[in-house]
Amino acid sequence: MSKQLYKNICDKSRFEAFFKKHAKSLHSFLYYKFGDRLNPEDKTQEAFIKLWENCKKVSPDKAKSYVFTIANNLMLNEVAHQKVVLKHQQTKTTHQTNLSPEFLMEEDEYRQKLEQAIANLTEAQRVAFLMNRVEGKRFKEIATLLDISTKAVEKRIYGALKKLRQDIDEL
Amino acid sequence: MNKEVLILKWLDNDLSPEELEAFKALEDYEAIIKLSNYSKGFKAPEFNTDEALQTVLTNIKKQPNRQTNWLSPLLKIAAILAICFGAYYYTTTLDTTINTHYAEKSLIQLPDHSEVNLNALSKITYNPKQWTDNTRSLKLEGEAFFKVKKGSTFNVVTTSGIVTVVGTEFNVKQRQNYFEVTCYEGMVNVTFNSAETKLKAGDSFLIINNKPIERLTLSAKKPDWLNNVSSFISVPLSEVLDEFERQYNVKIDAKTIKQDELFSGKFTHNDINIALQSITQPLQLRYKKVNKTIILTRE
Repeated sequence: MSKQLYKNICDKSRFEAFFKKHAKSLHSFLYYKFGDRLNPEDKTQEAFIKLWENCKKVSPDKAKSYVFTIANNLMLNEVAHQKVVLKHQQTKTTHQTNLSPEFLMEEDEYRQKLEQAIANLTEAQRVAFLMNRVEGKRFKEIATLLDISTKAVEKRIYGALKKLRQDIDEL
Repeated sequence: MNKEVLILKWLDNDLSPEELEAFKALEDYEAIIKLSNYSKGFKAPEFNTDEALQTVLTNIKKQPNRQTNWLSPLLKIAAILAICFGAYYYTTTLDTTINTHYAEKSLIQLPDHSEVNLNALSKITYNPKQWTDNTRSLKLEGEAFFKVKKGSTFNVVTTSGIVTVVGTEFNVKQRQNYFEVTCYEGMVNVTFNSAETKLKAGDSFLIINNKPIERLTLSAKKPDWLNNVSSFISVPLSEVLDEFERQYNVKIDAKTIKQDELFSGKFTHNDINIALQSITQPLQLRYKKVNKTIILTRE
């Protein structure tokens, strides 16, 4: 365990540095887990405000899991399991000019299937999978972020991949 | 190489060039790449860290950080400690007081097993917590007989004077304008008006109205009052009558007779009529009982 430089992060500059380091991953974590209906951005900010209010009680090495837990609870408080909907951001395909209408239709269909399949994943699988595929995070990074083992991350992501392929084929 | 291992390595971006070739040769390669590419479209909406930080910081400013939060529980603890300490201090410095009423006698054992016999209407006060082997001290108002265990100095503090002993038996009588110390065993040191007097066994020291009175040496082993008899040798009648009042809880009206007359004799504590006779007969007085008042007149 590394020695703690500070007793808490009540200092403003320390708090800002901490925010810059973790806010983004917390936001995507919330988004992948709960979708965009519950306003992950607000929850992220709220969690950090809570951290500031309780900064004396939270040691720096616990601060990260503190904001993640708080944000997660804020989400859970708001709703008991709404269906997660992730919006597929249309990838710009303007540079491709020679697309046949069939191809476009096929692409659209595939996208819809994937959307549904991702919604059907478990929260844990979805979060790990999207962090890996979308954010390009490696297993180890995800493991630290979620406070789980690398082996567990591997299992979740591989499980997600298998399930997605199966679902898409069936649909 | 195992397909699952290959896929996992690819997912973790950890493939060597040869392994990459092997991965590309997999039959599901196309499907996996397609799935992965399309998944990228589910990217979380852009999160502007700086903007969000500003929002958070302005929110924080609105709610003043309660810096003094720690103070109130601390004050509570301090208050409890203060009360506990105060109570402890109060009880340890609290004096033990034992007193007797009219016609009552009491035997008290002190923390060092010294014994005190308290005569009627008397009071001793001491602090048991401060009663150690080195300091033994108590306050006395009235009359008491002490049997002191051997040890360090034993002080009897009265308003008239201080009696200091080491281990002995003695009687102290301190009443209004009357201070008498009688030693029955060992040695007693009496400090009266900053003058010290040493008493040996049988000696007694008597002050009436601030005047020392010479006394003869006694041979008794104990004061008579312990046997329920008050005895006097050349004591003014007023003191005799006061003692009588204390032993029988009555009022004596003796306005018509001279009270500084000296009296030598005894009276019992058990029978008021016999006691009255033992006082009145030698002095040729008459007595009349009216309720709780006794009127004395010349014959």
